[in-house]
Amino acid sequence: MAGQWWTDDDQLLEVLQDALTITREMSPDFIDVGKAAYVWRTIDAELAALTYDSVWDGGELALTRADSAMLRTLTFGSDALTIELELTSDEVLGQISPPEGGTVSLRTDTEELGRAAIDDLGFFIVRPVPGRPFRVLCQTDSGATVLTGWVSP
Amino acid sequence: MRDDPAVIRLVTGARDGDKSAWDELVERYAPLVWAVSRRYRLSAEDIDDVGQSVWLLLIEHLPGLREPAALPGWIATTTQRECLRVLRVGRRVEPIDPADADPDVPDAAVAVDEELLLHERRDALRDAFGQLAPRCQLLLSMLTQDPPVPYSEISRKLHMPVGSIGPNRARCLDRLRQAPALVALIDTGNETAHRTGGGEQHGRPVVDR
Repeated sequence: MAGQWWTDDDQLLEVLQDALTITREMSPDFIDVGKAAYVWRTIDAELAALTYDSVWDGGELALTRADSAMLRTLTFGSDALTIELELTSDEVLGQISPPEGGTVSLRTDTEELGRAAIDDLGFFIVRPVPGRPFRVLCQTDSGATVLTGWVSP
Repeated sequence: MRDDPAVIRLVTGARDGDKSAWDELVERYAPLVWAVSRRYRLSAEDIDDVGQSVWLLLIEHLPGLREPAALPGWIATTTQRECLRVLRVGRRVEPIDPADADPDVPDAAVAVDEELLLHERRDALRDAFGQLAPRCQLLLSMLTQDPPVPYSEISRKLHMPVGSIGPNRARCLDRLRQAPALVALIDTGNETAHRTGGGEQHGRPVVDR
């Protein structure tokens, strides 16, 4: 870092510009989303990160989007579980592995949008597909609790 | 670091369920998360993704944070790691122009210590700016736009003759220098220079995933 950047007017202005640029660029939502995240504090869950989203394979999706049964697949991974999701026009299909039973819940920061049982083979269906972004919380019979990142349908 | 006691208070509060303490933590460190992510040239969407992960990981991490003063380091380190994760999953499916693939990343991986010093400096500058009179704030704000606002427009907006802009700029920058927030930073400046020079660590990131 430069020695005495504050003694020279031009340097000081440059440093100020750098500081102000960050807050100018930051999207207004950025802070709000961070604040809202606090509600997840009481849920003692392991986080599963997005490892695959069919949206990334843009070309294929454009083709399927024209069909009535639009399909999107996503995969979330954590140490305890992998959660695969398929979003069709009217349901969210899911598969957890390793397979086991439990319950699944689709949530926003403030409410539950859907809930279903996970069968012994680790499969679940939640209807309907929520109309807004949600996260998937899986609680397995063996005691694992895993929460995915946000899914924007 | 200059804001240690505040950080300790906020971390303790957020850990004990005080939502306003959490909000303040987010306000204080969102610019750090943003600044680090920007270095990785992520899209706005990806930066949002990184931000979300960092806050959620922090919530998970709060109870285990033994040394609250280490929080800024933890945030910088975690943000870097999340940026790399986003780049990794993105790259697996996106065609990469070999010309601009990897060279960015080593550039982006600025040492956490340096990242924290920059954050501290920017934070003090923003505080000092907030301590200026509104007219100085307006003038300096226009002078730091990118691209810069032309003097003719500044003159019109501030009802200030073009010839006075230069002297006013100097006067406002002087006020900025004397603002308590910047004076406090400069006072610890010698220590800071010594620390970076001597390679002594501070706010050591506690990575314990």
